[in-house]
Amino acid sequence: MFAKPSSTIRKVVIFFLIAFGMMTIHSYTNWFSSIEKFADRSIRPVYWIANIPPRLGGWADLRSTDRSVIEKENLRLKQESLIYRGQLQRMAELAAENLRLRLLLNATELLTDSILVTEVIGVSPSPKSHTLSIDRGLQDGVYVGQPILDAEGLMGQIISVYDNHSVALLITDNTHAIPVQVLRNGMRSIAEGTSDYNNMQLRFLSPTADIREGDELVSSGLGGRFPPGYPVGSVLSVEKISGEKFLEVNVRPAAEIDRSKHLLLVFTSQDGRRNGNVQ
Amino acid sequence: MTSMRYYLIVIFSLILALVLQLIPTSAILLPWKPNFLLLIVIGWVIFQPNQWGIGFAAFIGLLADLVFRSPLGLHVFLFVFIGAVPYLLSGWLIYFSVIHRSVLVFILIIFSEFLRNFMYSVWGVPVDYGDVPLGAISSALIWPLIDRFLLKVHKKHR
Repeated sequence: MFAKPSSTIRKVVIFFLIAFGMMTIHSYTNWFSSIEKFADRSIRPVYWIANIPPRLGGWADLRSTDRSVIEKENLRLKQESLIYRGQLQRMAELAAENLRLRLLLNATELLTDSILVTEVIGVSPSPKSHTLSIDRGLQDGVYVGQPILDAEGLMGQIISVYDNHSVALLITDNTHAIPVQVLRNGMRSIAEGTSDYNNMQLRFLSPTADIREGDELVSSGLGGRFPPGYPVGSVLSVEKISGEKFLEVNVRPAAEIDRSKHLLLVFTSQDGRRNGNVQ
Repeated sequence: MTSMRYYLIVIFSLILALVLQLIPTSAILLPWKPNFLLLIVIGWVIFQPNQWGIGFAAFIGLLADLVFRSPLGLHVFLFVFIGAVPYLLSGWLIYFSVIHRSVLVFILIIFSEFLRNFMYSVWGVPVDYGDVPLGAISSALIWPLIDRFLLKVHKKHR
């Protein structure tokens, strides 16, 4: 019943050595990537089961909602759709005008993006790892590096693709950085994740940079990974810390990072990977 | 209790803990989420130390690393470190009251969260130590349920 302290400590030390060895290998090599991919593939049924309570909650919500409330919601959505369609017509006219002007300037043609609707099927349970699993994979033409967004803005990019699902790294993960520009003046910067779902930071902005609270940030398209012009966030605070060379700029992500259930996968025309499912 | 049934209970408890850990949670509630997987490991180590010891904690830690997509070895280290305490004290802990065991669980989880944050900070991940007690509080609050269940199993399978 009572454990022998000496043999227990010996075991603990051995496992510590193994654990630190694994962490070192993980930090400096990608030897474990095939194991991690295998685990990602195998864990999908568990994610599916873990998603049952939220689905049941949604279903129960729908069932318990009064018919008149649903009718009102439907009416509101129809009106919203009408407004957006009207705005879209104006956008189409502007896009055509933009294209004509670009042709006059001999500039390259802007690429149009297609989208594919997807659903979140799993979220990383660790507060430090901002990843999520979606229900689209290789069969839907999803590829590594593909941007994903929700109705409000950019969410992140795909980092692993499997047959029927994929894993996306969110823009708030501390290992993620995205080139952005300020909508007001076109100033470029890099927005980095901070492992906080409601906060990102702009790096290396000099104290004289023209940036203020409330400035809207969109993807700049530099680097070629994210298409330009998608909302990334808005500037929450700008602080000059004495003794620091750069400003501390906090950004609130535009996307509802921890709440969105339905997302959009963006296929740019460059990708050439569209299939029948792409809208 | 047949040994087959016993092992099924162990597997079921681990799968249930894993599923509970993976249920999507909003960012506000996430720091409050109990550490189900570590709780079940602590539980089995306290009540069945002869069957489930340090090696078991290391294996579940590896599983946690793969599921949480954390650097491989991080949760092995944490689970072994945390699992070793109840393993060394298992002979005494069984005679403690459930409240005393809840206090121990609270201390162990708070220590594990602190260690995990420290390890992440070594990798350069920004951490917020203010969140550390939240998960420990909720873990200690649900511990009596796990305690009661595992005590029943322990009594049947001494």
